[in-house]
Amino acid sequence: MSEPTAITLTIDNRTLTAHKGQTLLEVARANGIEIPTLCFLEGLSPHGGCRMCIVEVEGVRNLPTACTTPAEDGMIVRTRTAQIEAQRADILQLFLSEHTSSCLVCDEKTECKEFMPTIRKAGVTTGCRYCPKDGQCELQAVTEKMGITNIDYPIAYRGLRVETEDPFYDRDYNLCILCGRCVRMCQEVRTANVLAYKNRGRKAIIGPAFKRTHLEAGCEFCGACVAVCPTGSLREKARAWEGKPEREEITTCTFCGVGCQLRLLVKGDRVIGSLPAEDALVNRGQLCVKGRFCNTELVNGHQRIRNPYAMEGDIPKEISWEHAAALAAEQLSVCAPEDFAMLASSNLCTEDLYIAQKFTRVAMKSNQVDTTARTFYGGAFNAYLDLMALGVPLSAVHEADLLLAVGLDSRFGRSVVGVALRGAVKRGAKVVSIHPRSHSYSLFADPWIQPRPGEEAGILEDLAHAVKAGESSPNPEVDRAAQLLKAAQRPIILLGSEFMQYTSASRVLDAVRALARALGAGVMPLPPQNNLQGSLLAGAYPELLPGGAALADAAQRTRMEAVWGAGLPTELGDWNAWSLPEGKRTKVLYLLGELPPQGPKPADFLIFQNIYPPAGFSVPDLVLPAAASTEVDGTFVNGEGRIQPVRRAVAPPGNARPDWEILCHIARKMGVPGFDFKNVTEIREEMAHLIEVYREDGEEDGARRPRPYSGTGRLSATVCPLPEVSGAGEFLLTVNAVEHIHRGFPLSAWVEGSKALLTEGLLEINPADATEAGICQGDSLAVSVGNIEHVWPAKLFRDQPRGTLNASLREWATFSPNPLPVRIRKAHV
Amino acid sequence: MGCDTRTSTSAAPAEYRDLFQEFKGQEGELITILVRVQERFGYISEESLKQISRFLKLSENQIFGVASFFSKFRFDAPGTTSIKVCMGTACHVHGGSQLSDAVGWRLGINFGQASRDGRFDFQRVNCIGACALAPVVVVNEQVHARAMVTSMQELLESHE
Ligand code: SF4
Ligand code: SF4
Ligand code: SF4
Ligand code: FES
Ligand code: FES
Repeated sequence: MSEPTAITLTIDNRTLTAHKGQTLLEVARANGIEIPTLCFLEGLSPHGGCRMCIVEVEGVRNLPTACTTPAEDGMIVRTRTAQIEAQRADILQLFLSEHTSSCLVCDEKTECKEFMPTIRKAGVTTGCRYCPKDGQCELQAVTEKMGITNIDYPIAYRGLRVETEDPFYDRDYNLCILCGRCVRMCQEVRTANVLAYKNRGRKAIIGPAFKRTHLEAGCEFCGACVAVCPTGSLREKARAWEGKPEREEITTCTFCGVGCQLRLLVKGDRVIGSLPAEDALVNRGQLCVKGRFCNTELVNGHQRIRNPYAMEGDIPKEISWEHAAALAAEQLSVCAPEDFAMLASSNLCTEDLYIAQKFTRVAMKSNQVDTTARTFYGGAFNAYLDLMALGVPLSAVHEADLLLAVGLDSRFGRSVVGVALRGAVKRGAKVVSIHPRSHSYSLFADPWIQPRPGEEAGILEDLAHAVKAGESSPNPEVDRAAQLLKAAQRPIILLGSEFMQYTSASRVLDAVRALARALGAGVMPLPPQNNLQGSLLAGAYPELLPGGAALADAAQRTRMEAVWGAGLPTELGDWNAWSLPEGKRTKVLYLLGELPPQGPKPADFLIFQNIYPPAGFSVPDLVLPAAASTEVDGTFVNGEGRIQPVRRAVAPPGNARPDWEILCHIARKMGVPGFDFKNVTEIREEMAHLIEVYREDGEEDGARRPRPYSGTGRLSATVCPLPEVSGAGEFLLTVNAVEHIHRGFPLSAWVEGSKALLTEGLLEINPADATEAGICQGDSLAVSVGNIEHVWPAKLFRDQPRGTLNASLREWATFSPNPLPVRIRKAHV
Repeated sequence: MGCDTRTSTSAAPAEYRDLFQEFKGQEGELITILVRVQERFGYISEESLKQISRFLKLSENQIFGVASFFSKFRFDAPGTTSIKVCMGTACHVHGGSQLSDAVGWRLGINFGQASRDGRFDFQRVNCIGACALAPVVVVNEQVHARAMVTSMQELLESHE
């Protein structure tokens, strides 16, 4: 790049140097000259719509807008003359004449702020505190700065209906000043293209096509538009009336393996909101709906468990921590190694998971500790680990010239990757997508190969052949994709989880690996579990030791025995996470951030440690309240192998405690040495002896460097143990594991808004098929093969291909093989 | 009946393939394509929007934004809105004829006519058996109770 040409110009009688290409606004701001703006926002293209930033340029007729006018050599500019001020005041009054303006020009305004003679709630109801943005509104700030106290124009309030039908945020376009920030955010930055200007003149308004809701229009609920709205027009449902946050904490989102950096907004001892951090490494100022909205709601639920409790007969009775630890210790001390099992969540911090396996191995002398990732990846787990070893960092998306996405939909999860992916097309890269349904970037994918469920492994194998041997495929789209792949200089393969529960999942992953090898392409596994890598590196699996080494790894065992000062159990044991859906019972089952299975009680003594009570499943004997991700310090290892810090922003509710602390307490109560940690830093110090990546990055925050997965151990048979059935039927059923899960709970269990977005427990069917079968939204639909039958509520979904059905289930193992031909009928319950 | 299945089967994609033949699939062709679609189908339907979206790789929302800027594009099928103003005794007493006048004025036609653009079909009817709700106006089989002259404008606009 050549040096920008230096220029000299005069603004408000000051001679300033700038460089060509800067706008007048940029030059003014760089030199501390204030020009009021409304529609301008750094990072978005200048719009020149609000005309607040008008300035006078000698020799130029009219008053140009500073945000769109390039600075020229020798320009003489004035930013505040009487004429400019008068015009700005006029423009502002015109805005205000359409706007509910009590918070701007009310006579009582000053009094109200100081003494609040009207109680606020009444004010809200009666309309004078109409807008939740009061005190944080840019329109208000500009109005005050310009000293406008009167509106000389006739009031032209539009009286539009406030749009509240979508989850997470509301829209009151009566407050909208058509600055277009939301539109530019949605189109330029997010490339979601949901928002557009509609109509014109007095009827101009912002929104999606027709009268569609945002949900219908493909919105990702990323909340980026809400965050840039200068007025109260776009408002978060949950945060609307919270007022200004008192402080911010930077932490990491724990809702998927991307690990976005968050700015938590805190007021008092509560997280009131969550915004993206301008993090250059991972999310680059973007979030998905989970990090932006679900997070806050999940940690704030009033049903959070606050105190330990035990069952006395049928009645839960709150007890002290001492009592709870004693109760657990009493049961555990007499429990044989083979009778104990611990199921941990891969959403927990690595420190918690490390303590969980140490507890199992040292205190219980057992290897029966596992996570639900085993059931999620099923028979493809080892193949997935092999792919993680080829992992490339997220930044590769920004550099690749071809992106092959396999089974990835980024609408409600990992949407930051979707943004990068669509952005890649804008900069000229190619996107090839293999996905059975239309998804968040199908318009951008060329080609989008749409397999019938079950065909994707074959397609990927064809693709690999076509690339390697130059054999052509009968499918012209596969051929075209192969040509593109071969021509690419820097291809990468992104891996979503659409096919992960299919019987052919390991074939899909093997084909991905073959393809990656043939192309020399990096693979980007995008695990939905934020700490999948950390759980492996912590050794929270029967077959794996800390560092991801195999259970039999002699060197690692010697190291561990030295560090722990204890002998290690050698028996693998015959319990793992599959034992639960199989209905196998143990003496003591410790659920660490997981839920008991549906069906009969899985253990004689059930310990349940989580943030919410286990509604609806078998009743635990002991319930221990855990702290949520915004209430603990720790780290996790994201999909790229980066150690991401989680920071405590607020105190946990009631007597809830971090997971590791509870486990250590119980171990001490049992009289087991080696659990005297005072904080997570001490745990990390010990981990550093056994886990290489933690050795390098032991100190707080570390280098946050990505690394391909390095664990050498592999899991033993992890295949779904369901017996295969063969079926006939006109519909092809696929079953997916719910990926929007946190600590065992589907998000829709505790996050109201997510119910509209996520489809846990529903059967998706094409509306045309539904009509033929006489089925309406929400009807019970019986799906049968042979004499097995399951009934789920129907969800009519336009993107579900005809002749196929899809169910997302927490306990997904219902039928095997997957996909499976089935018959359907309307169930009359 | 009974549930909204939101599928649109108005035109086979083959018709669109035909229509798109003369275009390259570039963003700049949007307006011309919209004009062709409206010539062909009389309006821009949800299905049209979907097909144009796939062809030009623009979102349906973006296309709608552009199309709605121009008043010549319309988004519902022409001639489909039927307006019936009740002239039965109860409705008459409650001002049915004023309503009828208001509709006539607004559409620039008399009862029994269709509006010039063919979008409205305006009729007077006799008692429809909803006297308790008088005066009533029936728009596309939907009964609007206690209609007022002032609300007529809005009602018509919402079907424009
Ligand atoms: S939430 Fe995101 S996707 Fe939805 S309209 Fe706003 S910016 Fe666009
Ligand atoms: S909704 Fe907000 S951001 Fe969007 S145009 Fe209106 S004022 Fe601007
Ligand atoms: S993409 Fe993943 S890490 Fe980022 S906000 Fe969403 S859930 Fe959190
Ligand atoms: S800030 Fe320049 S026109 Fe709006
Ligand atoms: S007179 Fe109008 S409904 Fe009966």
